[in-house]
Amino acid sequence: MPARESNPNFMNGVPELLILKLLEHEPMYGYEIVHEVQRQTGAAIALGEGVVYPVLHGLERDGALLSRRKTVNGRSRIYYSVTPAGALRLANLKHSWSVLTAAIQNMLAGGRYGSVIS
Amino acid sequence: MVQSFRDLREQLLLAGVAPRHVRRYLAELYDHWGDLTAEEQCAGHSLEEAQTAALARLGTIDDLAVAMTAQPKFRSWAARAPWAVFSFVPLSFLAGAWAVAFFILWSGWQIFLPGADTPFGAGPLHGFENLYFQTGKAIYFFAPLILGWGIGLVAARQRLKAAWPTVGLLLIAAMGGTAHVQASRTAVPAGFGHISLDFTLGTSIHGLPNGLFHALAILSITLLPYLVWRLQRLCFASA
Repeated sequence: MPARESNPNFMNGVPELLILKLLEHEPMYGYEIVHEVQRQTGAAIALGEGVVYPVLHGLERDGALLSRRKTVNGRSRIYYSVTPAGALRLANLKHSWSVLTAAIQNMLAGGRYGSVIS
Repeated sequence: MVQSFRDLREQLLLAGVAPRHVRRYLAELYDHWGDLTAEEQCAGHSLEEAQTAALARLGTIDDLAVAMTAQPKFRSWAARAPWAVFSFVPLSFLAGAWAVAFFILWSGWQIFLPGADTPFGAGPLHGFENLYFQTGKAIYFFAPLILGWGIGLVAARQRLKAAWPTVGLLLIAAMGGTAHVQASRTAVPAGFGHISLDFTLGTSIHGLPNGLFHALAILSITLLPYLVWRLQRLCFASA
């Protein structure tokens, strides 16, 4: 069975944004996160199933996430939740992403680049 | 653990990722693989097919390795600054251990042998007094060996090249082999008790300086487990 293709390099930074957004209200573990991202984005964004962990570990190391081991249905899992520093990071990322997407949208729609980036 | 996870572990350790990060990454990947396998089985695949499909969905070994090695923050200190980890750190620990040993020697001398000019060869000691001095002696003599084994262990766990660990072992052996402790109450005017440490090769026994003989002994004892590990790896690699 061929491996499912994940998104190319220009998606760098997006997994971080999606993970923080997803964990904003509810703690989740790796498998849940990957599948929830696929579900909520209609599989338009496919995170590499295994490569989500370095992103999670990196965010935890930066203090944006907190991990906690929990046993559910007899299986031990590591659940991640957003810290106050992570919530702040999410707000900053959301703002940057909104500016970027608006700029790209405007350019695609034929607007002038200079009028968008002030 | 399946071969792919073993290969990934080796790739990550060789790339300098800290063992604790590797352990956790693999544990989570293993759990994830279990979930994916269960999902594939629910979709009607046999266990073998489900495991293969789950591995493919997890990502290639190279992709999984790159995701980790691309982040410098996961690199171990031994990979980032081997010169410090294998020279400065063990020598600092050796100095610390010897400071403790000298304190035990000096305090035992003041408490149990107040009239002796030197604590060395000051007559038979028994019970707690003997235990007290022997503890200091053990710390002094075993510190280079334990630190040498520690260097080998760190190098083996992190799959490091032999150069820096060898430098560390040579330094520890040289320090441990050539150190000589002297203690005398009359060496200083106040007579408070003076302990000094110097590094000399000492007198020759059968043409080999005493210090060099001790250094070689420490080097052999500390290097042996590391050498055995490296030879084992070579055998496995060629098998």
